[in-house]
Amino acid sequence: VKPAVPVNSVQERLRRLLFLVPFVARHPGRPVHEVAQALGLSREALLEELDLLAMVGRPPFQPDDFIDIYVEDDCVYVEFDQRFSAPPRLTVPEGVALAAAAKLLEADGSEALRAALSRLLAVLPPEAAPRLAELSARLQVSSDAPPGVAPLTQAIARHVEVRFDYLTAGREAPEPRHVQPWELFSHRGQWYLSGFCLTRQEERLFRVDRLARVEVTTSAFTPPEGKSARGVPDVAARGGEVRVRFSKRVAAGVVERFGDAARLVGDGEVEVQVPGDSERWLTGWVLSFGGEARVLEPEHARQAVARAARAALERYRP
Amino acid sequence: VEIRSAGVLRGRSALKVCYDRGLQSAMERTERLLDLIALLLDAKQPVSFAALRKTFPDDYGGSPEASERKFERDKAELLELGIPLTFSQETDEQPAGYAVDRARYYLPPLDLKPEELAVLYAAGSAALGSGAFPGASDLAFALRKLSFFADGLPPVPKVRLEVGAAAHSRELPQRLEALWAALSARKSVDLEYYSPHRREVTVRRVDPWGLALRRGTWTLVGHCHLRAAQRTFQVHRIRSLTVNASKPKSPDYEIPADFSLDAAVAAWPWQHQLHPPLEVTVALTGALAPLTGQLFPGEGVATPQGREVTLQVTHLDGLRSYVLSLGAEARITAPEQARAGTVGALEQVLAAHGGAA
Repeated sequence: VKPAVPVNSVQERLRRLLFLVPFVARHPGRPVHEVAQALGLSREALLEELDLLAMVGRPPFQPDDFIDIYVEDDCVYVEFDQRFSAPPRLTVPEGVALAAAAKLLEADGSEALRAALSRLLAVLPPEAAPRLAELSARLQVSSDAPPGVAPLTQAIARHVEVRFDYLTAGREAPEPRHVQPWELFSHRGQWYLSGFCLTRQEERLFRVDRLARVEVTTSAFTPPEGKSARGVPDVAARGGEVRVRFSKRVAAGVVERFGDAARLVGDGEVEVQVPGDSERWLTGWVLSFGGEARVLEPEHARQAVARAARAALERYRP
Repeated sequence: VEIRSAGVLRGRSALKVCYDRGLQSAMERTERLLDLIALLLDAKQPVSFAALRKTFPDDYGGSPEASERKFERDKAELLELGIPLTFSQETDEQPAGYAVDRARYYLPPLDLKPEELAVLYAAGSAALGSGAFPGASDLAFALRKLSFFADGLPPVPKVRLEVGAAAHSRELPQRLEALWAALSARKSVDLEYYSPHRREVTVRRVDPWGLALRRGTWTLVGHCHLRAAQRTFQVHRIRSLTVNASKPKSPDYEIPADFSLDAAVAAWPWQHQLHPPLEVTVALTGALAPLTGQLFPGEGVATPQGREVTLQVTHLDGLRSYVLSLGAEARITAPEQARAGTVGALEQVLAAHGGAA
């Protein structure tokens, strides 16, 4: 697909090349595919960039005056060049984009993130400050990550176990858990942690907003290869076993969210099928439509929603 | 500094077969700018424009006016890349000329602690991996620079993120990139915007003022020429988008000094500016009480049953829907109209599921 705005290819290439030379100098002899991957390029595109670099030099443009970057046995080398010992500092848009992304994992108490970010922005040249402030004000990411996200990220990166208190549906008191954390992910604004729960001795999926007092331990573990989270209630996925019908009033919003997976039925109503593996999620979701959504089948899911509505109504009675 | 013609060896690049003249001139320009940076990083003293003309006769050799214009464009490009290019006046020690301030050019070691690097890298990678983050290329380079001094290639922590609605989201990455480019240069955009509630597509010219991500949804705020007022747009509802391509370097509009993106975009479902503000109280009991600070802004106050929060609500339906989704441990308690509306909604749910209250 053609980008809506043509990227400034001259700038993009310059930025790449000014990074490429110091990168190869710091990591000499890396295979071509690894260097290409680090630069986000295809193998062919990287080789083209190396060709271009071979043309770059300084007066008097004698053979020794050119950047000596070359491929040997499919590995990339560069003759050390003092001028390109390190890449240029961050540009303003780079700083703004990173600061906005950092917000995604920021929550109360994520000191590490804030400290890292301020140190990073401090290396921007002082005259960049007005532009930094201007651009930062135009890109904003709300920090809706619950507090557990930052320490869990560290634990996942360092492969160490964590302990936390977990609130399970239907329980009054939180339960202490000891977990090997594998993966964190955010699905439509909701954060989940997958891992091996040592307390329960099985693979578990936790909702991060239901856990408290996260403690990062020093006990290391080996994460399983290629494990990826399962059991996320991907409401947009087709083929779930719970059939839900929506009234005309909310149909447009449902169609927007589910796309082709929403089936139009008579009178402007729509129907979708969602997984029923999380009763708690399903009942909360159906309740949120306040009568504009109804579970058609299976019967146990329909009853679960009725039970949840009855329980909530009881709380409203004095 | 002895500077001789670069023409002979630079001629090598002319041997490359370039069918596309635009591509060829872009390549020559990239090469020239790199040469320029290499030269200035290496120079012991500032290099005068006259010397640059001699060094790059193919590029700056034309008429003085034309070559000066060309050099001005090159300078602007370098400054935009963050290259600290300076001009110094003639002194007793050195001639007037250009230099790259080496002390401000190089990325210094960042001395990040491993956990700081891990969490910052994770955040950036998750944003990139979501496929829907504006300034993706900027972000990618920020991450490369961030980890430049780290030992070995950095690990990619397993943190994933999904944003945007399911339908019509294939175009989301391009839309965000285009809007980011428009915002950075303050260029107007022409939109075809779909409203699911009115079920119609409208064509509008918008001056983008800001982009915000809230709970997985990207929102554009700007001045809408069609409505002649400030408006918000959900980016996934944009059906087509064109950035004004004329005069890319000169901004089309100013952003009002008192504009606040934070105030313009609802952070919570009850903050959409649809109705006059209403003060609503929500009570949290049981397992939800200790989570008050995560589920609502602020910790609220303690009550015998749990905790209570008071909110300024401009979209009551949004709050009702949110509270209902939390289940029986969350209740709207005041004012009476809001409480009764929630009870009514629950009775409807029950009736729709064959239960009797």
